[in-house]
Amino acid sequence: MKLRILACTTALAASAATGAMAEWSLKEAAAPYAGTTVDVIFLTRPGYDAIKAMLPAFEEETGIKVNITDHPYENALGEQVRDFVAGGDLDIALIDLVWIGNFAENEWILPLEEVQAKFPDIVDPALDMDDFFPLVLNAFGGWNGKIYGLPFDNYSGLLFYNRCMLEEAGFDGPPETWQELKDVYGPALTKDGKYAFALQSKRNETQSADSFARMLWPFGGSFLDADFRSNLLSPESQAGLQFRQELMAYMPDGIVAWDHAETVNAFAQGDVAMITEWSSFYTTMVDPATSRVADCVGVAPEPAGPAGRKPALGGFSLAVASQADEAEQAAAYLFIQWATSAANAREYLERGGVPARQSAYADPALAERFRFIPALVESWQEGVPEFRPRFAEWPEITEIVQEFGTRMMMGEISIEDGAREIGTRMEAVLERAGYYSGDKPLAQ
Amino acid sequence: MRGQVSRKTILAFIGPSVIALAVIGIAPLLYAVWTSLHFYNLTKLRQVRFIGLENYQTVLTDAAFWQAMGRTFLLLATSLPLQLALGLGIALVLHRPGLTLVKTLTRLSLVLPMATTYAVVGLLGQVMFNQQFGVVNQLLGQNINWIGNASNAFAMIVFWDVWQWTPFVALVLLAGLTMVPGEVEEAARLETSNWWTILRHVQLPFLMPGLVAVLILRTADTLKLFDMVFTLTRGGPGNSTEMISLLIQRVGFRVFDQGLASAQAVILLIITIVLARLYIRVFYKEV
Repeated sequence: MKLRILACTTALAASAATGAMAEWSLKEAAAPYAGTTVDVIFLTRPGYDAIKAMLPAFEEETGIKVNITDHPYENALGEQVRDFVAGGDLDIALIDLVWIGNFAENEWILPLEEVQAKFPDIVDPALDMDDFFPLVLNAFGGWNGKIYGLPFDNYSGLLFYNRCMLEEAGFDGPPETWQELKDVYGPALTKDGKYAFALQSKRNETQSADSFARMLWPFGGSFLDADFRSNLLSPESQAGLQFRQELMAYMPDGIVAWDHAETVNAFAQGDVAMITEWSSFYTTMVDPATSRVADCVGVAPEPAGPAGRKPALGGFSLAVASQADEAEQAAAYLFIQWATSAANAREYLERGGVPARQSAYADPALAERFRFIPALVESWQEGVPEFRPRFAEWPEITEIVQEFGTRMMMGEISIEDGAREIGTRMEAVLERAGYYSGDKPLAQ
Repeated sequence: MRGQVSRKTILAFIGPSVIALAVIGIAPLLYAVWTSLHFYNLTKLRQVRFIGLENYQTVLTDAAFWQAMGRTFLLLATSLPLQLALGLGIALVLHRPGLTLVKTLTRLSLVLPMATTYAVVGLLGQVMFNQQFGVVNQLLGQNINWIGNASNAFAMIVFWDVWQWTPFVALVLLAGLTMVPGEVEEAARLETSNWWTILRHVQLPFLMPGLVAVLILRTADTLKLFDMVFTLTRGGPGNSTEMISLLIQRVGFRVFDQGLASAQAVILLIITIVLARLYIRVFYKEV
């Protein structure tokens, strides 16, 4: 599937490039759409602030107005679903990778090639789809063999560690494996009211993505097997979930109520020695205004499990909404193309965003300023696109995982019973959706 | 007789309220009933179809629904008696003669919790009960995990509900106490100095209409309690504070299964109506 997407997008970029390379300019391409307003939902996170700061240049050059409405992550899906169902104003869809199946199957978003075929004059010859990390492009923007969105706000899970605390305890580097983190670093760093590790596990998407899934994959587990039946009772999945339970001995109490803010804050206050968090929180941890440990922050790829390093993968792409009228679709495409372009990637990075362009990380000097870059680039080489299944049924399934995942951690239900319960309910959702009767392809 | 009010006038007075009620209350209710009889998922609108009572069957056999209902009634059963006891105590103290200025100030300050938005109460709770930085742990000199522990989180919800709604109960009961004719109360006080006897036989009959109103309003409020819990614990940890309204919101707006959520809401409505009728039949008597 990856190869097909790549071939298709490369061909498109190449065909768009022929003969147009020399004379294409954003200003001229956008001229017919000057005065158009496009509506989009943004999150209140650093990558979005970065683009907002860069936006005046785009608006001035194109005459296109980008109307942004900010929402916290937890509201963004609901807001967009309601807008698309009601035929609302949104011209651009902001798509978390787990929403893409939903958006694509409902035809709320247009495949990229369809937009490019419709408006060939606005396709930047320098778009260079090959420059996106293939894993990120496929996972964030691709569904069922087609590319819909371009990666915009991109994350990989990373291990952030407090170098000073580790050195004080006699370690000269972060743990390489999860086992080492638990058995060696855990006991040595959990003392005097400080903890070795914190795994954000609040009952929302954080529980499913940051906690539950994070422990499945490195241990060889997964949500589903090849036939789309639950794989949560497999020895590998069980080992991962059991490991999470044991690791809680080295985490603060009440970790089931911790979201990103609490976790990043505990690390930044020096109360926790290590956390696995999204790359986008790097700026918060190294800014002396928000962190007491700014000088001690070290970044490494997530530890490996028996099945290798399978770091958490998450992030957002932007796609053109099908409900937009013709001028809005063209204007929306121009904005998406501009915001995710290789030319703007450097500035986006410097302003706090995390671009998915390989070329943006080529300069070795950048790794000194942004210490997360080497770990990030390494993580994007071997992630799992279906880290969380991306089909339309995920919103239903994540609710089940959130409930029983949290209850497992609290000891209200055993690992095995919890996994069985999630599996039964998950299969019921998939049954209703028609995966077992052959009505839907087994795509995730 | 010409003194009768004309039909037109009657319609002009009643009409707007009836129309408003129909548009705001009745139409959405009928739509919810219609939705509850269909498979109606916002992300699967192409598959909308009539499924009869299937959603109701799912709700009635769903353990999560009854657990959430149980939690909601547990909240009602713990917070309402506390509110009534504390409210009555405050009302009786304020009803005593003397200290006019202090009592006026107290009455005014009683309005403050009620005037605080539910969502803000939840956010306040988050800050005050934070394990590390919260003022509550600082005052207690303890390191109690309030939000991350199932029982503590539930106790915290009870605390905030009592904090916010005891003043309401107090003010309603105080109004009831002022209804007691002065000479009756005075005569009673000459007969006995036992405050319980006076409360039970003289004041309580006048408090009953207020008490029934409080029971009905607080029951309805608790059944639809959402904002405070959502901002404070979001139903967690696990599902230890997932009240019925949070469950309905989760099914309707996070899973997007509006059909099932509507069926849950309709059943909740039926339970509320039955309870309200029950309260009126059992407790309410004209003085």
